[in-house]
Amino acid sequence: MAVSAADNVPPFIAAQLTHLLSHFRLTLKVEQMWSADKYNSGPFDRFTLLIPFCLDFIKWDVIYNAECPTVAPDVIFGPEDEDFHPFHMPSDDGTQATSCLSDWNYGDPTRLLSLVQFLRDQYVLYQRKRVGEVDDDRLKFEISTILSREGIEMHMSSGAEKPEEVKFAVPLLDMNINKMVPSCPWRYPQKIHLQVVYPVGRKYMSAPSAPRLKLVSSSELKALFSIDDVKLPPWLDGMCLAEYLPNLEEYLEKQVSEAVLSIDLRRQFIEALAIQLGRPVEADPVFCRKATFLSATGVFTFLIHFLIPTQFPKQQPTIMLQSSQHFNSQMAPLKSRPLVDYPWSPRWEPLLMADRVYEFLADEALNFKRQCSEGTLQ
Amino acid sequence: MDDHPPLQKIAISGPTLASLIQRFSTSPSSLHGLLFGHVTLLTPLNLSDDPSTASSATTTSDESTSSATLVATVTGFIASPSPTSTFYDSTGTVTSTSLSHLLHNHHNHNNHQLIGWFSARRKTPLRPSMREFSVTQSLSSLSAFSSQIQNSPNPNSTSFSSSSSSTFSPCIFILLSSPFSNDHIHTHEYRAYQLRASSSFEPKLIDIVNIGPAFRGHYGSFSPNAPFPVLECDLGMSSMNEERDGNADKEDDRLSVMREKAKDQRELDGCAEGFEVGRLRRMMGSEARSYTSNLEGLYEKMLAKVENLTRLVEQSNAKVLEQEHYNRKLRQKIRAAAPE
Repeated sequence: MAVSAADNVPPFIAAQLTHLLSHFRLTLKVEQMWSADKYNSGPFDRFTLLIPFCLDFIKWDVIYNAECPTVAPDVIFGPEDEDFHPFHMPSDDGTQATSCLSDWNYGDPTRLLSLVQFLRDQYVLYQRKRVGEVDDDRLKFEISTILSREGIEMHMSSGAEKPEEVKFAVPLLDMNINKMVPSCPWRYPQKIHLQVVYPVGRKYMSAPSAPRLKLVSSSELKALFSIDDVKLPPWLDGMCLAEYLPNLEEYLEKQVSEAVLSIDLRRQFIEALAIQLGRPVEADPVFCRKATFLSATGVFTFLIHFLIPTQFPKQQPTIMLQSSQHFNSQMAPLKSRPLVDYPWSPRWEPLLMADRVYEFLADEALNFKRQCSEGTLQ
Repeated sequence: MDDHPPLQKIAISGPTLASLIQRFSTSPSSLHGLLFGHVTLLTPLNLSDDPSTASSATTTSDESTSSATLVATVTGFIASPSPTSTFYDSTGTVTSTSLSHLLHNHHNHNNHQLIGWFSARRKTPLRPSMREFSVTQSLSSLSAFSSQIQNSPNPNSTSFSSSSSSTFSPCIFILLSSPFSNDHIHTHEYRAYQLRASSSFEPKLIDIVNIGPAFRGHYGSFSPNAPFPVLECDLGMSSMNEERDGNADKEDDRLSVMREKAKDQRELDGCAEGFEVGRLRRMMGSEARSYTSNLEGLYEKMLAKVENLTRLVEQSNAKVLEQEHYNRKLRQKIRAAAPE
């Protein structure tokens, strides 16, 4: 979210906030901004920052004082973190801590970013310490075995209503997926994380139960590879995370490589379609998930949209026809319903696939034309 | 460092709390300042009519400190004049010099010592922030500003363990805030904390002391914030002096007596308007008569003094407000200028 000066935000705050949002290595969000007086008529010098942590968000309120620009901002942490004091943590030396806030230069746009970065790093250490203090032997063992992996974040949640749980966010796959896709448009490296949730504090359980597992990926990855389609390998009794992770990573690596190879399969399909239908009007050249062709039957001209899933060729593409001559009441062109019930077999060659699709379309186009002129579509 | 002894509750008089809330609601943005008061050790009475427990009462009197409760009373506050001249810096560190700067006009006496600080910010969650913790920790570590716990046992006495200390460092923090809703009801939320040595804030019960039937018990523990000045009590000595000495010393004596009287009158004028110091003599000792009417006269003059002071404060307030407006305009110029 870009913070514009017209938003009644003082320029020195806007500069620091914009720099923070555009340069922080994770995606931060500003939930809301407000002013110090009751009716929001003054300058907006306070905002809530949503910071990703452990595959969830933490909410921190950053409070500036527009009456007093030279003073550094203050931060209010979440309600569960009343013991989090980033500048009084026993492990660190005082020098690095105070440099974030002392000699605050309100004209320097990078200061807020260094402060938030420091606070988040301290928060990771604080949560790690909290998790380390949990009196659960199995958990202590798990922590000791996976601590060598970099980038793990842990979180201990203890609310009054919910049971105590410890959540791990384990980054998987060291490989640079961005490099594997030719001419990849992604701005940030895509990562897959495994979320592991251990229930703790239930001493009466004799055998440790399997933790809850979930795969989470960054949002842009789904153009290439959908983690919802990945079936997690089972967690056997008595397994520990250090054993489970290598299996999972090997499995995932295969899946990702297959997904990258399937880009080529999709590309071949589109090229085969082009032989029958002519050059596509629009096509996605990087992931080959979409293609649109212009066609005509008689004097009826229409567009054909192909939406190709990541599970191609096991799963067939969705076809949608769009008329260029009929419009509905909102002046939008009439479209057919998504068509997935046409003859298909994943074992066909791309040319054969294209032929069969072409035959199907020859009939379906007439159906569509009739539907358009009869007005049975909305 | 010693653990700060736990407070049972924090008492604040109704007018003080109302004054604090009023100061906050008229301020354009956040506010903070220092809290003054005293900390008292209350020993509960173990007397009872039942003879069987009477003997146990005497034996437990030595251990009464274990069941004694520590109560802090807030009697007043000073708000920092402007957000720029404050007693802490950006990292939340409080130094003796910055604190002395704010306190330099403050008269420190037994019932009105520094016991903590307060912070007020609208539309923010009612829990301490990152810097508020740093400031409270820094403030409570300044042992030079610790105050004496009243009614505390003699620390030199051998019957008590060394763990009970008789000083109280300023570790009280009162936070004021308001909820987020934008409707037309003004809601003021406040919470008091004590910083314990385990570096955590403990919320404490706030007991508001007002005037009324429910608060009769407080009359017994009343202690004035503005005590009557101590004046030399000279019952009939001056007339004896005049007869005793020779003529040469008469002038000197009369001068010193007059000087003394002028000094006393000045002290009395500090809390009463136009009450002659000689009248005080008529209220004491064997010469006392029409005591009630004289006392009422004294109170009348004291109220007149307060009224005059109020008028002076009003006038100077207007001047201060003008200056503050001017300062705000200057700060707005800084704020509106884009950083280079």
